[in-house]
Amino acid sequence: METPSEGSGSLVESKAGFDPRIVVFYGIVALMLLVLAGGLVYQQLIKGALHHEQERQQNERRVIVPGPRGNIYDREGRLLVGNRPRFAVVLYLDELRPEFRKEYIRIRNNYRNASLQDMPTSGQIERIAHVSVVQRYMDQINEFLGRTGKVDGGGLQRHLERQLLLPYTLIDDLKPEEFARLIEHLPVNSPVQVYTSNTRYYPYGAAAAHALGYVGVNEGADDEEFPGEGLTTLKMKGTIGRDGIEKQFDSILQGEAGYTILRVDPAGYKVNPPIEHRLPVQGKSITTSLDIDLQQAAEEAIGEDRIGAAVVMDVHTGEVLAMASEPAYDLNVFSPRLSVAAAADIEARKAWANTAISGVYSPGSTFKIVVSTAALRSGSITPEETPVDCEGAMMVGNRRFTCDNGEGHHGLVALPAAIAESCDIYFYTVGLRTSADVMADQARRFHLDRPTGIDLPGETHRMLIPDPAWKKKARDEAWTPGDTANMSIGQGDVQVTPMVMACFAASFARDEVSTHPTLIHDAKHRTQESERTGLTAYQRAAILKGMEGCTTEGTAAILTTVEAMRVPGVRIAGKTGTAQITRNGEKYNEAWFICFAPLENPEIAMAVAIEGTTAGEAYGGGRESAPVASAILKKYFAKKRGAGAAQTTPAGPG
Amino acid sequence: MALKSLSRASFFEMTAPISAAGSYANDLQRFWALRLHSKDELIEAGRDLARLDASYALSVQQNGELQAEVERLQALLKMPPLEHFRFEHARVAQRDFSGWWQRMIIRKGSDYGIPVGAPVVYSGGVVGRVSEVHAYTSVVQLTSDPGLRIAAVVDGDTRPISFQGALNQVFGAPRGAIEFVPLDVYASASVPKRLATSGLGGVYPPGLTIGRITHVESSEDGLFKRGEVELDPRLGELTEVTVLVPLDPSS
Repeated sequence: METPSEGSGSLVESKAGFDPRIVVFYGIVALMLLVLAGGLVYQQLIKGALHHEQERQQNERRVIVPGPRGNIYDREGRLLVGNRPRFAVVLYLDELRPEFRKEYIRIRNNYRNASLQDMPTSGQIERIAHVSVVQRYMDQINEFLGRTGKVDGGGLQRHLERQLLLPYTLIDDLKPEEFARLIEHLPVNSPVQVYTSNTRYYPYGAAAAHALGYVGVNEGADDEEFPGEGLTTLKMKGTIGRDGIEKQFDSILQGEAGYTILRVDPAGYKVNPPIEHRLPVQGKSITTSLDIDLQQAAEEAIGEDRIGAAVVMDVHTGEVLAMASEPAYDLNVFSPRLSVAAAADIEARKAWANTAISGVYSPGSTFKIVVSTAALRSGSITPEETPVDCEGAMMVGNRRFTCDNGEGHHGLVALPAAIAESCDIYFYTVGLRTSADVMADQARRFHLDRPTGIDLPGETHRMLIPDPAWKKKARDEAWTPGDTANMSIGQGDVQVTPMVMACFAASFARDEVSTHPTLIHDAKHRTQESERTGLTAYQRAAILKGMEGCTTEGTAAILTTVEAMRVPGVRIAGKTGTAQITRNGEKYNEAWFICFAPLENPEIAMAVAIEGTTAGEAYGGGRESAPVASAILKKYFAKKRGAGAAQTTPAGPG
Repeated sequence: MALKSLSRASFFEMTAPISAAGSYANDLQRFWALRLHSKDELIEAGRDLARLDASYALSVQQNGELQAEVERLQALLKMPPLEHFRFEHARVAQRDFSGWWQRMIIRKGSDYGIPVGAPVVYSGGVVGRVSEVHAYTSVVQLTSDPGLRIAAVVDGDTRPISFQGALNQVFGAPRGAIEFVPLDVYASASVPKRLATSGLGGVYPPGLTIGRITHVESSEDGLFKRGEVELDPRLGELTEVTVLVPLDPSS
């Protein structure tokens, strides 16, 4: 019989002693633990940074907001281009998640209850729910504002997929009254809010449109400038200068973008508050050399219906006081964006071109100042000499050249009278005596053959001072005396811009050969200095006498004889010009007037060029362009007298 | 949710008589307190009152003349008449410390036809707007409440800006904040500017004083200014207000 202790041998734990087989098992377990620990160390310590980065990229988003552009002022501090608030009604979609969910369930239940066979998919129901909820808010806004806006389902879906963190715009560009209504009617904590952004604002409308330029939409600031590299980034569109000062000084005007780094949940909705935030900063402002009073005077005098330009310049500093180019366009049509209809209108009116710097025309008789300088310096004439008897026409080679200015029969005239009356026969003769090369050299000394380098984009390079070598090279033709005759009255192939001629007028006013124009005003700008013209005082006095005679009794006598055109107390040195051009088979006349004043101590110089379809000499610089100059000069000197009076006002007591 | 609203409304209606009774008791207390003044003081007060009354009578007369002139010009220019309101004067029944600058309860409700959203004014300008209407009482949301916004204008300007109440301490001076202020608007504590209702928002008639702008500064984006508005301290001790009940409810 077995004892109880023996019988319980399988039930009572007893030490069996060391079993070597278990060591293997221990080893395997230890090895596995080691692998796990190693894996943990590898993932946590070695690859920890990588996982952290991946987690960050998955849970964080970056939003970049462009900064407002800087303002543009005229030389007296008047705002020419600023920013105006642009109010929009937006919906913060991340606050609507519960509503989206409820609407989704409601729509799904409706379909189920209706037992429809063609039940939409889950995604379709979700899209319907989104539109339904957003339309509800839109209806609320419609009721406040009396509108009938509808939600664009496609646009909403795209926004939800790509720009969930940005507010969804329900209505853009609210009127002030609408903004006010929403301020009072929308609850403070509503997901619908008034959102502000900015857009360019032009208080003077079309004034200086070409000089100021406009902006277009760009993709916003460069991502690399901001922290949060590698994060999914949403950028709000910014603006970039497309023309004029806006383009030329874009880097200065451009604001500093701000950014926000947000935490989002797995569905992509924002989790407040932001992790990092920097507000955008407005760009730097620019003070231009423009004087809006002169600018408006110039534009009004040219008129909207004519094609023309006027460039007004400070003789000493080269600062451009006005740069009018007509036809122009109201800059406000670009804000917030240019419509197709507005673009078509500008195109139809041929208003895109800045005629002041891109319009090339033969300078006509205004070039006779260059010819006179060349002739006097080369010694081919003297001021008092009468080289020819003007009988209204002369033969050059076998071609008949006529004198179309003034009386058309000037008789024996010396240089001053020839300039004042713009006698073509005199200048044909003088030009032939002087030679094309000498005249061309003189024109190049005055920098008429090259861009002025004004701080604006789009200045043409097509100005041209022809000479025999040029003609041979460009056309493989020999230079003829007829070419010289044409050149001596500023026609033929001579091509300049109004800006070039304004610089020439300013240079000549200082008895120098070049002026560098600028559109930036700086009180520290000094009088420009360049090479002297090389005329003796006697020679220069003869030309100035002719130029003054032009405005008192010559081709621009209108400035003296017509009361409305007179600039009281100011002696003006001017020169008219009329050039015939053929474009697309049609003949045009270009009416020029260049001048500076006061004659004894010049302050202001200008060039006016107006294109006309009237054939013949009825359309001339004296009749068409000189009145524009008169309007500008009157405004300039009236302001100056006003400022002088203000300065001399005695200070009040105390 | 509905049960919660019902409970809240029922509780309000039940406690309303207590608030109103407390308010009446307060009026009685004030009456007896005034009776303790000496005859000389009462005579002096009566004289001041008579002067004030005469001054008001003159103002009423001038207002009448101006009103007639406005109507004449409106007729001349064929302009639509200004929005008209019915004035409903109401005593303040209760203010509690937890929401001193946020709300007050007045002793008139739907029994006097007061609608939700009606503007509430006093002699110093805007008090706020009616946010809840009960049978015999109404809750007025004050201009000092951060939850209230008004489309305002700076005195002498027509561009609407946004006024919003600020977080105010119970015994502190009431303040508000303004946003979207044009950059050419300047104001400071030494040269404050009056802030008034614009009339564009559709709730408040134009020209009612909201407060005085004592500080403006540029916002970081340089597009607008923002600023602080000092509200009338009398807002904290109002005993009577006027509710402007629109005659045309659809307006």
